[in-house]
Amino acid sequence: MQQVKDVVVVGGGTAGWMAAAALAKVLGTQAHTITLVESEEIGTVGVGEATIPPIMQYNKLLGIDEDEFVRETNATFKLGIEFIDWRKRGSTYFHPFGVFGANIKGGVGFMNYWLRWVQSGGDPDYTHFIAEGVAAGEGRFARVPPSSDGQLPRLNYAYQFDAATYAAYLRRYAERRGAVRHEGKVVDVEQNSETGYIEAIKLADGRRVSGDFFIDCSGFRGLLIEGVFKAGFDDWSHWLPNNRAVAVPCERIEDPTPFTRSTAREAGWQWRIPLQHRTGNGYVFCDSYLSEDEASRLLLERLDGKPLADPKILRFTAGKRRLGWVKNCLAVGLSSGFLEPLESTSIHLIQIAIMKLFEFFPQRDVNPVLIDLYNREMDVLYDHVRDFIIAHYKVTDRDDTPYWRYCRSMTVPDSLAAKLELFSDRGETRWMPSDLFGETSWFAVLYGQGLIPRSYHPVANALSEDELELAVAGIRTAIRRRVDALPSHADFIEGCCAARPAATAA
Amino acid sequence: MTRRIQQVVVVGADAPAWMAAAALLRSVSGAGIRVRVVELPTLLQPVDAHSALPELAGFHHRIGLDEDLLFSLCKAVPVAGRRFSNWSGAAPPFIHGYDRAPPPAAGLGFTQLWIKGRQNGLRTDFENFSLASVAAKAGRVPAAPKDAELHAAFGYNLDAAAYSALLRQGTIRGGVDSKVGTIADVEIEGDRIVSVILDDGERVEADLFVDASGPRAALIGRMPGADVESWREWLPCDRMLVASAKALKPLPAFSQISAFRHGWIGLFPLQDRTAVVAVYDGRETSDEALLEDLPALAKMPIGGDAIVSDLSQGVRRRAWVGNCVAIGESAFSLEPLDGAQLHIVHYCISQLMTLFPVGAGAFPEAPLYDRIIRRLAVNLRDFQLAHYKLNRRFDMPFWDGCRDAPVPETLQRKLDVFTARGRVPLNDDETFQEQDWESLFIGHGLMPQSYDPRVDAIPEQEHIAQVQARLNDIVGLVEAMPPVDAFIAGADDQRQTEMTALG
Repeated sequence: MQQVKDVVVVGGGTAGWMAAAALAKVLGTQAHTITLVESEEIGTVGVGEATIPPIMQYNKLLGIDEDEFVRETNATFKLGIEFIDWRKRGSTYFHPFGVFGANIKGGVGFMNYWLRWVQSGGDPDYTHFIAEGVAAGEGRFARVPPSSDGQLPRLNYAYQFDAATYAAYLRRYAERRGAVRHEGKVVDVEQNSETGYIEAIKLADGRRVSGDFFIDCSGFRGLLIEGVFKAGFDDWSHWLPNNRAVAVPCERIEDPTPFTRSTAREAGWQWRIPLQHRTGNGYVFCDSYLSEDEASRLLLERLDGKPLADPKILRFTAGKRRLGWVKNCLAVGLSSGFLEPLESTSIHLIQIAIMKLFEFFPQRDVNPVLIDLYNREMDVLYDHVRDFIIAHYKVTDRDDTPYWRYCRSMTVPDSLAAKLELFSDRGETRWMPSDLFGETSWFAVLYGQGLIPRSYHPVANALSEDELELAVAGIRTAIRRRVDALPSHADFIEGCCAARPAATAA
Repeated sequence: MTRRIQQVVVVGADAPAWMAAAALLRSVSGAGIRVRVVELPTLLQPVDAHSALPELAGFHHRIGLDEDLLFSLCKAVPVAGRRFSNWSGAAPPFIHGYDRAPPPAAGLGFTQLWIKGRQNGLRTDFENFSLASVAAKAGRVPAAPKDAELHAAFGYNLDAAAYSALLRQGTIRGGVDSKVGTIADVEIEGDRIVSVILDDGERVEADLFVDASGPRAALIGRMPGADVESWREWLPCDRMLVASAKALKPLPAFSQISAFRHGWIGLFPLQDRTAVVAVYDGRETSDEALLEDLPALAKMPIGGDAIVSDLSQGVRRRAWVGNCVAIGESAFSLEPLDGAQLHIVHYCISQLMTLFPVGAGAFPEAPLYDRIIRRLAVNLRDFQLAHYKLNRRFDMPFWDGCRDAPVPETLQRKLDVFTARGRVPLNDDETFQEQDWESLFIGHGLMPQSYDPRVDAIPEQEHIAQVQARLNDIVGLVEAMPPVDAFIAGADDQRQTEMTALG
């Protein structure tokens, strides 16, 4: 095989344009060509999209100006996710980005001290000890570095944006850097008869686009990775039975909240993602328990603003493509697998696939050793995210509908079962140092879902009661001082990055 | 809720036992948990030395040990790395230096720039881009400020008996109760130790027993399911000789590991002597023959104090069974090729502290501890095994066998990925980081076939400037480092000053 020069991205949408923009930036279009083929006939799945903090790394790779990006995508800032009715009807908890409490001299994690404090009568709402949680609750936000004396916590955040305008923004970025877009539907694929490598794709109008490397961003169907290479699919629907989503935007009725809301429903959950100009909504459900029509009706009924479009139905199966990279084809986005957006991981999975592609990018021959490593590393990430999402369903007191009774009683992967057991014994959440979701995330979700650790690290008993009270009060004061100094989320956006009217109309 | 742990007993001897006791004293005794040591007969001989990695400093910090004492009381010599010679035919020796992760260059890993440079004719060897290696060769101690972008650390060669005595003294002064004895019997019910019965008839009971008895595995060895999985098929050496030779002058800033026909010989500089270790395959040579050859192989006269012992390498299938937790060599053992022996001890201790059991009943922490320790063991084994696998000593049955034998999949993947792209896929619980593996692989002659294509986006002039800047930075930093003797004298002065001030 020759030096890899020509890269073809099949499919637009969020995944396609994220890949094309990064390729145009990193490889450039001097020694390489970057071509993206998409068809306006095929709709993209993109709806209101929420993200997690590592998206900063992708933006940094592209050298994107944050304010411009927020303006152009109608974005708002996100400090975490509010979960309503998940543990039981009427319950609420918050999964914040950020760190739980602060280090207490003595060496064990804050949650151990906090568990002791709660057992002796402290307020069991852990949100008070996470700056992002307190700020979210009061609708405040600003970009703040850690205080210079290290006494005040930082604020970790991500974005909520309009996926369609995000793709359009990245398209402009990529095209400015020399990426070329072709409009058209792929009707045929040419493979090398010896190696099986893809050599070109043919479009409906007869054009032929040849390339050395192909990125499959064609969505669920996996036009190349499955259509050509039969990479296979691990079906996870026995753990994650949701297979439909109905989505609809509605008018914004209040200042956007700096968080996403997820409300558990009779046969799934409803998202609410506030953007600058409107609110994205959707109901993710399982069609064995609820019909599409019924779900659409319930979603419309439960909107807090006037709907701005007809509800759109999306169909999917939870699971992972067995191999995300085969020969000279890499699947990015939904073609590589689908995990429901409960923890806003879709864009993260796209981003990691792209980052890893650069790390393993073939110079000449596509090296099977590197493909194998890529596939292994993605498997680890997918399994981790999968377990984290399953935990939301498994750990619940809800038994009010057949759907929830199924979730509660289902068997979960062994990897998750071991985590749940150790957490219920002692609140331990340090599973693997390399995990995407760290200690605070697991603690917030498992505790919030109702798994209350029976005990905590014995060293937490080394503090006297006075010392513990003092430490707890000190952390709350620092968080209070941090949050009191913040403007409202709406004022902050107004001050730096309100969408232009043109974008607002989009 | 089950009853909380009230009494911990450490059973063992020497550094592992006192390290465990010191850590327990520092952390859990504050929570009202009593710590006791049953001190078994020492396994140390006067010739024994420890050669430790820089991470030991973090442990000393946690237990509050003043490191100046190592230099004044334990004959310590700071070393910036290990020099490997005679592993690769006529190839010159290389130094595995104790570098911290080096900063990127032009936004990419520096190694990637070096690989492309090498492919285009760059002649400067990889180890010249290692701060620690350059320091080691210059006889300097990398004691630079830790916030520098380029940063290295030093490890320690220590007199084993003096180090153990120092830890023991501090721990006992701190209030840990100890009892000297030998084990007559261990009373076990199911998977729990009810009591350890000593030779004087005392029954020692505890909620938790820590086995720090080294290769004796005095407790864990009796527990169900904790048998040893031998690694003999991967690691053929089964004999170890320790001896001593005269002190080197001036003191070098590295330890020396030389391969020979049947294994390897290590020279570990101490202030008052050089500790000599030979590790070899007993099927290839007899102890007597080796002892005869040793002065020639070590290139120095060897004292008459040599001691030979069996060496068995492997990992216990379970390191924590019921109320018995094994640390250090009681959990797994390797030859001292890469100086990880004390690291294994304090890594186990720190995992035990993190997972210190919440109750004296079920010990749900055990499976997680087992998984962590096994990962640690496998990663270290692979690092050690890579030396053997990559040897280029041809036409010698022992070394040909090592080179030709298949290696575990975990190591093969690292070798393959490094060959393909110059990258090292790290696992969790790795003692050695990417820079260590790179140094090992490249030092033994494994050259990556390709590099990250992003390097091609760096203009040639900038590429050259980045490479040159890294060399200059290293030279500048090394010039500011103290020579070994001056560093040791400084540590000693520091202590004298403190004592005067106290007096």
